[in-house]
Amino acid sequence: MSFDPAILARVQFAFTVSFHIIFPTISIGLAMFLAIVEGLWLKTRDPLYFQIYRFWLGIFAMAFGVGVVTGIVLSFEFGLGFAKFGQMAGPAIGPMIALEVLTSFFLEAGFLGIMLFGLNRVGPRLHFFATCMVALGTLFSASWILSANSWMQTPDGVAVQNGHLVVTDWLKVIVNPSWLYRLPHMLAAAYITGSFLVSGVGAWYLLRGEHIEFGKRTVSMGMGFATVLIALQVFLGDILYGTMLKYQPAKMQAAEGFWDKQSESPAPYYWIIVPDQKSQRNRFALGTPYLGSIWLTHSLHGRVEGLGNTPPDLQPQMGIVFYGFRIMYGIAILMFSLAVASLWLRWRGRLFSTRWFLRILVVMTPSGVLATLGGWYVAETGRQPWVIYNILRTADAVSPVPAGVLLSTLIAFVCVYALFMAAFLIFAGRMIKRGPKDAPAYAEASGSLKPALKPGMANGATRNAAVTE
Amino acid sequence: MDLPLLSALFAAFALLLYVVLDGFDLGVGALLLLPSDERVRDRMVDSVVPIWDGNETWLIMAGVTLLAAFPVAYGILLPAFYLPLIVMLLALGLRGVSFEFRMQTERMRRAWDIAFSLGSIVAALMQGLIVGGLIQGIAVDGEHFGGSVFDVFRPFCLLVSLAVLSGYVVLGAGWLHLKGTAALRAFAERILHTAVPAYLGLASVSTAAATLVQPQMLAAWSAHMTLLSAIALLFLLLAITLWRAIGGRSDGRPLFLGLALFVLGIAGLGVAVFPDIVPYRLSLWDAASSSQSQVFVLLGAAIVTPIVLSYSAFAYYVFRGKTPEQGWEI
Repeated sequence: MSFDPAILARVQFAFTVSFHIIFPTISIGLAMFLAIVEGLWLKTRDPLYFQIYRFWLGIFAMAFGVGVVTGIVLSFEFGLGFAKFGQMAGPAIGPMIALEVLTSFFLEAGFLGIMLFGLNRVGPRLHFFATCMVALGTLFSASWILSANSWMQTPDGVAVQNGHLVVTDWLKVIVNPSWLYRLPHMLAAAYITGSFLVSGVGAWYLLRGEHIEFGKRTVSMGMGFATVLIALQVFLGDILYGTMLKYQPAKMQAAEGFWDKQSESPAPYYWIIVPDQKSQRNRFALGTPYLGSIWLTHSLHGRVEGLGNTPPDLQPQMGIVFYGFRIMYGIAILMFSLAVASLWLRWRGRLFSTRWFLRILVVMTPSGVLATLGGWYVAETGRQPWVIYNILRTADAVSPVPAGVLLSTLIAFVCVYALFMAAFLIFAGRMIKRGPKDAPAYAEASGSLKPALKPGMANGATRNAAVTE
Repeated sequence: MDLPLLSALFAAFALLLYVVLDGFDLGVGALLLLPSDERVRDRMVDSVVPIWDGNETWLIMAGVTLLAAFPVAYGILLPAFYLPLIVMLLALGLRGVSFEFRMQTERMRRAWDIAFSLGSIVAALMQGLIVGGLIQGIAVDGEHFGGSVFDVFRPFCLLVSLAVLSGYVVLGAGWLHLKGTAALRAFAERILHTAVPAYLGLASVSTAAATLVQPQMLAAWSAHMTLLSAIALLFLLLAITLWRAIGGRSDGRPLFLGLALFVLGIAGLGVAVFPDIVPYRLSLWDAASSSQSQVFVLLGAAIVTPIVLSYSAFAYYVFRGKTPEQGWEI
């Protein structure tokens, strides 16, 4: 059996990066949520907030841990699987990632220990500061990595000299044409992911009639954030769509599923297609008539541009781009509908008692993660065959590593990551099933909690109980 | 100003910090295999859990500085060390998630501790293989790696990997000597009594073997005879001092002497291969990216590193002293 090293290197990168992005998406969202909740706790001294904080801190810690260890892999994979990419793009994206490490990885790592284990030692105010620093770290990290990735999508500010890239203008490299739109899009995605995660778990408790106060507060907060953010996201997504149409027309052409240079008029909006890249046509297509013209051209009879406008050797694979986009877009429509429904139910005072709504929220718990993955598939597979758009082809970037070795390490990654995922799901599931612990008595105390939290004989018994639990 | 040299110094600084910091927590991880008492193992993990993530970040810093400032070397070295790097990354991953997952289960905790320990041991061994591979030299073809990914599995590299593992065990035991009480402190003393001679022996044999497998090493010794001899002599003296500090009144002395040993080892290696970034093949100036990239990294590093170092030190300060018997639970 023979494999193409280029394909294997790509599958390996796709697998490891897809697996990785799940966890930062969760931890960016949860870090912000935790910062808000702890801030509310300090402001109101309502022990319910502390209970929410402690519960979600546990899940955040696990997601963060998996995100860190799978992220380290990526920073080396630029060279392991794609040595030529590292050599070519290093001068541009290397310094950005270096700054990411300096301004965000260290910030997260430095304050994570205090956030997870330091409340007894530093007191609530400094602890809140640590939580904020971790949330800020995730934000900086997203900012730099989106800048680096956006530069690969819409490279700017560089020149090629003797086969090496030379940066001519750092401002243009960092603030490249798509970064300003892609960063808020990703941040909103992460915060929406966190909101639905929190709402889904809260809704599950409400349906089971357990931890009612916890469930009500988290559903209320989660859907509140989700409502504002999804409205914003629809707007941000629309702007980004226009930007990418301008810079990478092939990507958006593939995302809409039309092959001909101009679609028929009126154009349908496709939901399901079976594309045949070789003969440049769809074997099957199912869509809603007129909707394509209305959504994409804002007119009743407008024609949509198809992938035929791009020469076949410069086309991305339509199927994966199309379905990535449909998954993201479909979930976004669902989320938007739920947000509208939540506003109505909230106004009628039935947000916590409408069982069908709560059931949908439970099903939607991981929806943000799926939508984010769909979006990244559009971004990354839609850029193909380029790794740096219009500068370096993916196939030319691959390292001189034999196919057999690549296949073995791919299998090793799949096995180890499957273990990570299984453990994460089992332990997170158990935590959710066990439910939040009652807030300790000291959570209600006013003023500084430091004396109450000082390790000593007085509360030694409760502390040991907490450890053995 | 010699920008590539400054970038190389920054990369070396990051690598040094990585080796000494993650060195002790990898060492603690390696030792986790031994104690059968779960409470002792809990204390061991508790002693490093608040700070390990920051320690490991220095590895990414070193790797990414290589990417930014010496992209040509990055593109040669990473494929050359493809296998040990992938195995190391998987091992570090397994160890990293074990920190979180072991706390989630009573029944399976031992299994996660074994994963934790094997992850730490394998990561240390792979790092040693890479150091050995660098010393022995790698095949380069123009700007690409020209050898086989299996080249690194050679007897000399295996010897160096054992030396690195034993060194990390010394650091780990030194850390437990500092942070542990009662049974844990006694355990640390027992380990140090074995690990220090083992480390000294393996490091000496590796140093001698290096001159046999790589003639350039012999040349480096004759070129820098006084300096390298001084480093070797100091290494020996500090190792003896470390041996005598085991079980002594100062909790921290074995750790700090162990750290000094690593600084000396890396300094010696640096003197021997300078100014090459791919040893004997490519100097740091030939591998450097253009000055715009160097300036960006160096400016960022100059501004942000002091801040990073101060809050990292603060994190160590928050969790100073002996690791509490009852853990850190909020």
